[in-house]
Amino acid sequence: MKRYPTIKIENGKKYFFRFDLDQRIQHIILAATVIILVLTGMPLKFSETSWAPYLNTFFGGSKMSPMIHKVTGAIMLILFAYHVIRVVSQIVSKQIFPLKKEGKMNIGEVTTILIKQPMIPNLKDAKDIIGLMKYLLYFTTVRPDGDEFTWKEKFDYWAPFWGMFVIGLTGLVIWNKVLATQIIPGELINLCLIAHSDEALLAALFLFIWHWYNVHFSTSVFPMGTVFLTGYLSEELMVEEHYEHYVRVMTKEGLAHEILPPHGGHKPFCDKPLPDKPDSPSTTTAAEQPNDTLQQGGLSS
Amino acid sequence: MSLKSRFGPFGHIGILVLLTIYFMPSSVFGADAGNCLVCHKFPGLSRVGENGEMRLLYVNEEIHNKGVHGSVKCEGCHTDITKIPHDPAKPVDCLVLCHIIEPTSEQKFSHKSVATSLEDSVHSKKDKDGKEKPFSEDMPTCKDCHDDPMFRPLAFVKKVRPGVAEDALGRCRVCHSKEAFIDKFYNHITTRLHKSRSPLNIAEACARCHDDPKLVARHNLSRAAGSYGQTFHGKAANLLDESVPDCLDCHVPKGKSVHQMYKNEDSRATTHKENRGQICNSVDCHPGASKKFSNYQVHAEFDKGKNPVIYWFTTFFIILTGGTLLPLMAILFLDLLRRLFPNASFRRRKEKQ
Repeated sequence: MKRYPTIKIENGKKYFFRFDLDQRIQHIILAATVIILVLTGMPLKFSETSWAPYLNTFFGGSKMSPMIHKVTGAIMLILFAYHVIRVVSQIVSKQIFPLKKEGKMNIGEVTTILIKQPMIPNLKDAKDIIGLMKYLLYFTTVRPDGDEFTWKEKFDYWAPFWGMFVIGLTGLVIWNKVLATQIIPGELINLCLIAHSDEALLAALFLFIWHWYNVHFSTSVFPMGTVFLTGYLSEELMVEEHYEHYVRVMTKEGLAHEILPPHGGHKPFCDKPLPDKPDSPSTTTAAEQPNDTLQQGGLSS
Repeated sequence: MSLKSRFGPFGHIGILVLLTIYFMPSSVFGADAGNCLVCHKFPGLSRVGENGEMRLLYVNEEIHNKGVHGSVKCEGCHTDITKIPHDPAKPVDCLVLCHIIEPTSEQKFSHKSVATSLEDSVHSKKDKDGKEKPFSEDMPTCKDCHDDPMFRPLAFVKKVRPGVAEDALGRCRVCHSKEAFIDKFYNHITTRLHKSRSPLNIAEACARCHDDPKLVARHNLSRAAGSYGQTFHGKAANLLDESVPDCLDCHVPKGKSVHQMYKNEDSRATTHKENRGQICNSVDCHPGASKKFSNYQVHAEFDKGKNPVIYWFTTFFIILTGGTLLPLMAILFLDLLRRLFPNASFRRRKEKQ
């Protein structure tokens, strides 16, 4: 497997490793299949609207469009299976197997390993959400520091994870309804249809509003975030969203002296002294936020 | 050189006469024996009835002659009209004996057999014991479902035109020489063999009653047309697919006329519990489908009383959607607001004081 440097320096700017090629390809396939599935599925859900027949015809009408939907859905399910197998095998081979070799294998240890997986929600996420609410409601100017994966990213991971399970399973049942009803009662098909289409609407709105806002349309990243293509995140965004992780990585790479102060409104990083940061965060000036034009124009205290 | 100098003062009249003859509908010379078109040929001819509804009394002869009733004379159906000018005419009774002879029985033709099977069906005005059903006036009669193309709204440009297939006519001409005969019989046969209406048209016809809230409540029915629209069949019909089953495909027994629909409890009904499986697993539809398959609730409604499982299941997803999206949208909105004033805070103001 190709090694990815944790920090890549290009034109004097630091870029931080986030996703390897395999993950990026998985994401692109997922994004493409979701968009095609939404475009071929929504004309059915909203078949009585004026735009539905046009979109449906664009995808080949009522013979072709369902075919595209099914093939795309199958690709997505294969991707889902691949992802789960890959994650599980990596945990087993890299964490549980060495444990077995050491002879420390017991339920407690394995549970600890599973709980400490980067995407598992933890207490820090709960604290960060409360901290963010305080910040958003103007009770404080201190934004919570993000870890390697923030609660937003965990949400963005688990929501489609659950969605793919529900939509995929019900989709398979609807697709193979004659076969399925050899076993399950026909009334369940009604429930599958409701679950499939309602969950799909939720997923579409979630991804196209919430996820796209966070990764593309927010003023910090507009017009487009590039981490899903390059796999590397710029230093400014790293400081803004993942400060705790940023400081840890910089220290580990021996760049502790180059650590930037936290993003505007951040509390000081308490655990470690920051050599380059004499000021308290409340005096963070606009000059330290070169990427955020809106904030420069904002009120200063 | 002008027309005037060439044809003299009568030139205009001559052209006018020629034009009149040219544009005169062909059957002015034939079918209109009662001379009804003297008045009814004018497109503006209309009258506001006692209930304030405007009725168009214009007869488009071309459409009439090409329709199924093309060879029936006006008096054949409007039997109450005996003199011209006539009194307000009564609505036509479709069961009247026509003035045409049915060629296979050589009897005068009538739609009475249709009425007989309708009386035996779920749409009958009388119940099993021959008693008048409550609100029997709601039960459909011929003209609630059928209309003569002549009475459809005046729309000369249509997206979907049933049309006459010229190649088919060509085959008729191999043996038959009389054009009028070919047209008539071609129409007679094809209007019966073709699906003359799309599934959406059929569903809309049924919806006139079966999606009318007042009527549905009065007869304790379900809103069958609305729930059909929620199924894949109905959704494809909405998307103008012509191959999906409509109301009639499931509710009319195979090989019977559409007038022979029965109640779900009637053992003759296709939708009777025992017969349901055989509609779904027909070779044209879902071959191999089990009986469980046919328990799929085509007419499931979002109703706490009628379908509690579906009601609560749907409610769960509504709550899940709202519960997920609303907080996230709130955070998104607050985030946008926060970015306007990044350094403002209530607490800081207090500290300053």
